[in-house]
Amino acid sequence: MKFQIEDVTVYFPYDNIYPEQYSYMLELKRALDAKGHCLLEMPTGTGKTIALLSLITSYVLAKPSNPVKLLYCTRTVHEMEKTLAELRFLHGYQVKELGPSAGILALGLSSRKNLCVNPRVVSAENRDSVDAACRKLTASWVRAVAIENPDIPKCDFFESYEKAASDAVLPPGVYTLQDLRAFGKQKGWCPYFLARRMVQFANVVVYSYQYLLDPKVAGIISKEMQRETVVVFDEAHNIDNVCIEALSVNVRTQTLDGASRNLSRMSQEIERLKATDAGRLRAEYNRLVDGLAQRGDLLSGDTWLANPALPDDILKEAVPGNIRRAEHFLSVLRRFVQYLKGRLQTESVEKEGPVTFVASINSQVGIDQKMLKFCYDRLHSLMLTLEITDTDEFLHIQTICDLATLVGTYTRGFSIIIEPFDERMPHIPDPVLQLCCHDASLAIKPVFERFQSVVITSGTLSPIDVYPRLLNFNPVVSRSFTISLTRDCICPMVLTRGSDQLPVSTKYDLRSDPGVEKNYGKLLLEMASVVPDGIVCFFVSYSYMDGIVNSWHESGILKEIMKHKLVFIETHDVVETTLALDNYRRACDSGRGAVFFSVARGKVAEGIDFDRHYGRLVIMFGIPFQYTLSRILLARLEYLRETFQIKEGDFLTFDALRQAAQCVGRVIRSKADYGMMIFADKRYSRHDKRSKLPSWILSHLRDAHMNLSTDMAVHIAREFLRKMAQPYDKSGAMGKRTLLSQEDLEKMVNGVEEMVF
Amino acid sequence: MSLKDAEMKYNREDEEDDDGDGRGVEAWERDYADERSWESLQEDESGLLRPIDNKTLYHAQYRRRLRTTTAARIQKGLIRYLYIVIDLSRAAGETDYKPSRMVVVARQVEAFIREFFDQNPLSQVALVTLKDGVANSLTGLGGSPESHIKALMGKLTSSGDASLQNGLDLVQSLLNQIPSYGHREVLILYSALSTCDPGEIMETIQKCKASKIRCSVIGLSAELYICKYLCQETGGSYYVALDEFHLKELIFEHAPPPPAIAEFAVANLIKMGFPQRAAEGVISICSCHKEAKVGGGYTCPRCKARVCELPTECQICGLTLVSSPHLARSYHHLFPITPFDDVTPSATNNPSKLPKICFGCQLSLLNPGNMPAPCVSCPKCEQFFCLDCDIYIHESLHNCPGCESFRHSKSVVA
Repeated sequence: MKFQIEDVTVYFPYDNIYPEQYSYMLELKRALDAKGHCLLEMPTGTGKTIALLSLITSYVLAKPSNPVKLLYCTRTVHEMEKTLAELRFLHGYQVKELGPSAGILALGLSSRKNLCVNPRVVSAENRDSVDAACRKLTASWVRAVAIENPDIPKCDFFESYEKAASDAVLPPGVYTLQDLRAFGKQKGWCPYFLARRMVQFANVVVYSYQYLLDPKVAGIISKEMQRETVVVFDEAHNIDNVCIEALSVNVRTQTLDGASRNLSRMSQEIERLKATDAGRLRAEYNRLVDGLAQRGDLLSGDTWLANPALPDDILKEAVPGNIRRAEHFLSVLRRFVQYLKGRLQTESVEKEGPVTFVASINSQVGIDQKMLKFCYDRLHSLMLTLEITDTDEFLHIQTICDLATLVGTYTRGFSIIIEPFDERMPHIPDPVLQLCCHDASLAIKPVFERFQSVVITSGTLSPIDVYPRLLNFNPVVSRSFTISLTRDCICPMVLTRGSDQLPVSTKYDLRSDPGVEKNYGKLLLEMASVVPDGIVCFFVSYSYMDGIVNSWHESGILKEIMKHKLVFIETHDVVETTLALDNYRRACDSGRGAVFFSVARGKVAEGIDFDRHYGRLVIMFGIPFQYTLSRILLARLEYLRETFQIKEGDFLTFDALRQAAQCVGRVIRSKADYGMMIFADKRYSRHDKRSKLPSWILSHLRDAHMNLSTDMAVHIAREFLRKMAQPYDKSGAMGKRTLLSQEDLEKMVNGVEEMVF
Repeated sequence: MSLKDAEMKYNREDEEDDDGDGRGVEAWERDYADERSWESLQEDESGLLRPIDNKTLYHAQYRRRLRTTTAARIQKGLIRYLYIVIDLSRAAGETDYKPSRMVVVARQVEAFIREFFDQNPLSQVALVTLKDGVANSLTGLGGSPESHIKALMGKLTSSGDASLQNGLDLVQSLLNQIPSYGHREVLILYSALSTCDPGEIMETIQKCKASKIRCSVIGLSAELYICKYLCQETGGSYYVALDEFHLKELIFEHAPPPPAIAEFAVANLIKMGFPQRAAEGVISICSCHKEAKVGGGYTCPRCKARVCELPTECQICGLTLVSSPHLARSYHHLFPITPFDDVTPSATNNPSKLPKICFGCQLSLLNPGNMPAPCVSCPKCEQFFCLDCDIYIHESLHNCPGCESFRHSKSVVA
């Protein structure tokens, strides 16, 4: 169908549209008109992606004089493929409606691991080794040698891509990673390098968050994007954490040992080079005198390391004299590593700001801030000079230089925390030095400044006013949409008491109370007997889960539960968890029924869907607050209070509730689906906690369901499941229209300009 | 003594409560179920308050119309072999249906079996129970409602887990033996919310699919994925009952014969015997009970053995024995009466055509306040009927009184 949104004709590939999709497009269009950033919350299962894609592509079609590029950032490769598949469907429709003039070039970009077609390279086990294997075949000096000596292996795909030079282009169309690989194989061109070049010409690029947020990668990939670009962050409820992780570094003893090894290898190389080809070192020295900022003489294909700090923060100046010479630089690094080793010997927890840290480095080993700042670029240059291709071996020294550059560049928003052991296991020494970033706005700031519109969207962004403060930007539009349903297919409940009317909570003073544990167990047991197929339980932490499962085992509750359903548990081990999930799904499929115990903030809570019969009920035991004694968290809270005036309690609650919403949101992925959500903690009944849940959950949380005991909840569950098991009427003939056809839409627009959902 | 009296009285009150409130929700529970009694009232144009009960009537009508229109000219499987699988696991002892799920199920099955034989005189039924993880064949295929009901009522205890796979395996092995012209069906009344199976249930489902067994499930508590899958695969229907009334409706939906499966729809001849009723007072040994009986009974036309009831299969020579009225009663499924059309009040603004009384029951078609009530008309004879008569004609009478009398008078005139 096609319809008008103000002056834009929107081509939408389906015959019907949900009302919330329409209002989502409307808001988005206004944000694009205003050339500003926006923040939009819409629950999953409402077709957010297609609404977004069709509006933006239609917007471009409507205004050909102003070509806008779309950068779509997803969290996982799987989501990337899904988005591209939707886009392909949309594109097909638009071409059918408008003819070939609507053609666009859209492609996904991922790491070599996902794009490489050279069988020898792609068989390496992880991302870093694939990268290294590729470089071994494609680095400029390797190829230079290979011209003379044909025995040295080269990558045929890369060679023919280079030979085709500017002829190597992708014809218009939508390319998923799969398509790129197929295209590359067919033409004999390297899909990775082809995609990287085509990114500059493409109308739509779908890639991972890191390509924009992590300055190490963004510097290479996203450097040349024009300002007239719409950047979309999908599933962005954790965007602040991604930003922070991009600028945080952890150093352990293994890292330091590895770095020492790297250093000695590099010094050997230097010695060798001195004997054979001293001119090259000399040339490097001269280049550095001219300044790193003009690296024009380096071949573009070899730029595989970029500064970990943000581009604007790097001074455009020459490398300080005392690290220009390779030997001097190595000795500086050696001293730095030695210093860090010394710091890790500490017996007690230490915490300091970057300024004190730099000062102490300066006084103890004589490395000043400026030298630190240039470490990363200097290392990069040196590694190129030494023609090192097995970069995966040199990750340790890169981490160290990363750290050095970050502490040298930033004086605010970071802190250095050294912990001699893990809080929870004080007997096992495991010293770690953490450089933690506290300010999510640092990493995302260049994105907001460089691009015309940034769209942050997710199913759970409530409370929506926190994000602008955390990320330090001014959205022109920030809205939360609810979901329009033909039937009340979600049933959230707040359970505050057990059947014995005693309160349940995971509050610190209550959590180990046997009464509370028993009540939680009884809740699960009762629910297991009335809910069919799958139940998912989320606990606040691994240790709490261990404790409560043990106590259930001792009191025999677990055995009772096993009578109704099989029990599966998430562990730290990814392989084990995957196996457990597989078997959980099988148990649900074959009608045996199963319970999955999982942890909020765990891998399962973030990435795995429990839709349809895989999750008819999700129970959130307690409120998933972060571990409040963690030094990193405390430091961040302090920073947030001082810089953004966000109260500790507010941030903690916000973070816990978005996590809880994320967990319970796993059960419902489409409108035909149904599921129940139980928030089992008396604290959820308090307004300040509850009000932070997303509006689409709150709108279904009835007053009568806010303060339940176990027996009442069981009764509601029974009724709800019976009601939902009745045949589902998709079109919503029962009075509530949720699918609008083209006529409906036109009528709606003509009748009431503003519809409030 | 007085104490005992009081207890008795208390008990009786309890029972009365249950009877009075068949929907399984106590008055004090209604708060949770969010049943707002005032919302089920509405004001009509004349200002009178009336309960919104038309809805259910309309709904039932709608459903039936749908069924007849889709199945109007479809070949039906009139010779059905139906296994009713009753779940008597632990979950069947739950008391959300009063007095307990299994009692309610048994009650409805009893009514269903009678209705089933009324509508499908050529068909046979057998009962299977699921209990303690195993499936038991309670009665074999037979055409006598009484023997099934008696066997079922004697076995009403619940324990253990239910195994869908065991049940299906048993039924499948039994149904594989029946002749190919018969329609193989299973109706599972499932209380439990899980199934404890010894092996891979998907294989069993595929086996059932391969032997063309149509499996339908009626759940008593919530939607279970495996049941939905089973029904989808084998072409059956899956519903979950809301309460006892709804359960009855759902079970009774299985009484009319389903459309024939295409592969079995080839016309073939079936050998049948029409036995004579034995003379009164003759003593003979009946072949079904193996005992001497006086009077009654039927004699097989081929081997002259005596059987007690029709329809059945002769124990001696294996001939299918029916009586002609059985065949005649099955006939109406093949030629159902056309569904009646709705008469909208606006269409009847012509006062001369305004229906005043129902042609069926001769009662007024006007509501109090002289407002026209909803009614229907037969497309052939164009007579008007009230909704009650509509349902009666379609579900029990299978003849349109208007058409019949019209034809009659016409023939007289001619």
